[in-house]
Amino acid sequence: MKFAVAGCLILVMISGALVAFTRRPARQVLMISVHGLFLSMLFLLLQAPDVAYSEIAVGTALVPVMFLTVLAATRGGGRRNVPR
Amino acid sequence: MKYRRALRYALSILALLVLAPAVVLVALHMPAFGGQLLAYGATVNAHVPSMRQATNVVTAIIFDVRGADTLGEEFIFAAAITGLAVLLRGGRGEDASREPIHADGRQLPARSEAVALLIRWMLPATIAFSLYVMAHGQLTPGGGFQAGAMLASALLLLFLGDGYRSWRQVVPPVVMQLLEALGAVGCVAVGLLPMLLGAGFLENVLPQGQPKSLTGGGLIPLFNVAVGMAITGGFVNALVEFLEETRVPKEGDS
Repeated sequence: MKFAVAGCLILVMISGALVAFTRRPARQVLMISVHGLFLSMLFLLLQAPDVAYSEIAVGTALVPVMFLTVLAATRGGGRRNVPR
Repeated sequence: MKYRRALRYALSILALLVLAPAVVLVALHMPAFGGQLLAYGATVNAHVPSMRQATNVVTAIIFDVRGADTLGEEFIFAAAITGLAVLLRGGRGEDASREPIHADGRQLPARSEAVALLIRWMLPATIAFSLYVMAHGQLTPGGGFQAGAMLASALLLLFLGDGYRSWRQVVPPVVMQLLEALGAVGCVAVGLLPMLLGAGFLENVLPQGQPKSLTGGGLIPLFNVAVGMAITGGFVNALVEFLEETRVPKEGDS
């Protein structure tokens, strides 16, 4: 159990660093999702299944989708770039 | 410019000198990892399961012992979604277009049939699981917020599998706005219900039911469902507002 927690902590650390060091925003969003997955595994191991549920639904699904949408909107083709 | 960079380095080193010992000091004085139950936790664990017929003490705390906090959080969430809608619609116009519009020049990648099929299998299962989590809030891990976020992301699977158009047709924003509003009203109603019976706001005076049953916990399941509805509607509305932002209106479509 102790080793599983330690392993999860290391995975969280690595994936967190990868989120910060990834340069391309679209890939960064995917890394956030991976990071959220490892975080929720850690929460589950630390006997916080409620938090793990929230993290897996919000952190790996909803927040990345919102970021991807924002990326799509700011990359051009959105309404803001259309002359009124 | 160079001077500024040197200043920045000096500041960061200064901050490191001050903060690093503080971090080490805090780390040395932390309680031991796991296995230690503070007084509040011990008290709640001892009394709540028998008083409320709830086996999931976390939910019992969130929806009963500290229900007023949850009510406040629910309205913070609702206010955030409202603010988002006001902000984005301020630039875009009031109406969410009923017809999903395709932006010119953006490639629409073909959908893999395997993904579509997999999602048609997974979507009902995920929705069923989120409803299960909502219904068993006071018994097993999870609760209204978790179930709501799960349900919103389950509905999002439809977007992934069958495209934006089907998502918007199956999940009309009007329904989701109603769901969010009804959930928020429901949270307040759950608080006011005990007052009609002569007790305090959010006081759990309803019959507590049988242990380990779906109806156990008095107010907890009702509050749970109300929060679940509000969260589902809120998340879906936020996503619709964001996604509308990526689209170009047709002629004559506001």
